[in-house]
Amino acid sequence: MKRLAWVAGFALLAALPFFLGSYHNDVYRKLLLWITLALGYNFLFGICGQVAFSHFAFYGIGAYSVVILLFQFNLPLPVAIVLGVVICVGIALVVAIPSTRLEGFYLALVTLALAQLFIVVLNEGGNVTGGTGGIANYRLPSIFGWRIAGPPYTLVIVALLAGTFALLWRLDHSWFGRACRAVRDNPEAAAAMGVDVARTKVIVFTLTSALAGVAGMVYAFVDNTVNPPIFGLDNAFLILFMVIVGGAGRHAGAVIGAILLFLLPFWLSPIVGHHHQLVFGALVVAAILAQPKGLIGLWDRFSK
Amino acid sequence: MQDLLELAVGAAASGCIYGLIALAYLLMIRPTGIINFAVGEWAMVAAFGGHLLLSRYEWPYVLGMAAVVAFMMVVGWATERIAVRPLVEKGTSVLAPILALLGVLVVTREVISVSFPPDPLPVPFPFGIGRLELFGIGGSYQNVFIIVVTLAVFAGTWFFFEKTLWGKSFEAVSLNRRAAALMGINLSRVTALSFAGGAGAAGLAGLLVSPNISAHYLMGVPLAIQGFTALVIGGVGRVEGALLGGLVLAFAEQLTARYAPIPSGYTQGVPLLFLMIFLLVRPTGLLRARA
Repeated sequence: MKRLAWVAGFALLAALPFFLGSYHNDVYRKLLLWITLALGYNFLFGICGQVAFSHFAFYGIGAYSVVILLFQFNLPLPVAIVLGVVICVGIALVVAIPSTRLEGFYLALVTLALAQLFIVVLNEGGNVTGGTGGIANYRLPSIFGWRIAGPPYTLVIVALLAGTFALLWRLDHSWFGRACRAVRDNPEAAAAMGVDVARTKVIVFTLTSALAGVAGMVYAFVDNTVNPPIFGLDNAFLILFMVIVGGAGRHAGAVIGAILLFLLPFWLSPIVGHHHQLVFGALVVAAILAQPKGLIGLWDRFSK
Repeated sequence: MQDLLELAVGAAASGCIYGLIALAYLLMIRPTGIINFAVGEWAMVAAFGGHLLLSRYEWPYVLGMAAVVAFMMVVGWATERIAVRPLVEKGTSVLAPILALLGVLVVTREVISVSFPPDPLPVPFPFGIGRLELFGIGGSYQNVFIIVVTLAVFAGTWFFFEKTLWGKSFEAVSLNRRAAALMGINLSRVTALSFAGGAGAAGLAGLLVSPNISAHYLMGVPLAIQGFTALVIGGVGRVEGALLGGLVLAFAEQLTARYAPIPSGYTQGVPLLFLMIFLLVRPTGLLRARA
């Protein structure tokens, strides 16, 4: 019965794009991508307790690598996707193994440096990355002679969201999810219970980074352009803020936070212009001081 | 050889800037365990303060510098009051204030970017543009000034921690908060002062570096990364470690930029490389804490 409700919910999400115009389809696609990213980041930050600023950079690494592999190296799409995932996993492992060995917030700093370096590499990458202008004017290659575009491409994103959610949900409700929560709440106790703390952190970071990379690959064909400003540090903070405001450690919290912070600029722009980040920052400080469990915590309190 | 000496003075000056940022982290980490990512933004705020007072209102340099550093100390103190103390008093884990400070970071940056034009803004050199030559080693006035001021700050900080009762009370808190509180040390005062001192050190770094690189609202994050890398290289245990780490990082960066056949922007990868190497090989840093 419960499974049926989930299927109906995702079917509804999948049906929606066919009733939307092209502008709203675009907004809807980006909303779904943000929810996907927030769900992944929530697993890393909310459930496993690791602060990292590279989630959005991996989104960019996925997007750039699939575009570069497809159109600079002329590889077929499935090969490009697999290689893109391999690149994300490789970078994630290299970064995570040194920085999760110690207690403390080394992962946060190392990933901040990685995210900053990623933008530098994009800008300085010459012909490979297209420099400051990025790469544009490409289109998704046809699969078996069929080119996915328009509302059907939104279905790909719904499928991505459903797949990401299903995977994270299963993991969260397995022994591995409990190990992650133990690592977050009390690493010493987790280690005493036989959980390999460092390995758990590395696996979660690598997995969520790879998921962000896959979402980035899907994103690459939403705007059909990738350029450095899209993948800047502002968005790395935004994704953290979404999870905090919505409620860290809860899938529903990540979804609510992503929806709220994605839609907020549309309502705020007449008042504050492009400076909605200011509002987000204040919102986060307020959330941590007054409501550390986020909006989902408020919901829990009122629904009781 | 001449070339190398020239580079050495420039590298030493950058190293001093990183060292000051590392000192800012260190002052706050040791008594509280809180990594404050906003130090880079504090340096940025001080650079804009320098632009405002020294360029726009043309205050005398010493007065302007004192005003900016004093203002930053107030900012640090107020930040601790608003975003850190309520959480510490609630007994949350150390993660909560770190996240709150990230919110403060974004608010700070946005306030500056709303209030000033987006282009880099000039900050004047205190001694004008010129070169000082001594025993064949030459450097710009500004670089020599940076080195002298930083050495003075580190000497003062070292004296404070080693020789004064106040400094000892900081040390006691960083060793054992509970025992220190039982010995009658006022914990919240130590925390407030450590944030004021951290903001002062970060602000000084921003003010000193700004004539060379101009005040810009995005200058904070690279400084925050470089300063933290310096801290990891030097080790959190000792004050001198921050300066040593800053110098090691700056020399590595400058040598890479000068001799490695890569675009100069890629030198921003040097901190990441150092972070990973040190975390793998020597996570306690070069200097060990004294027993």
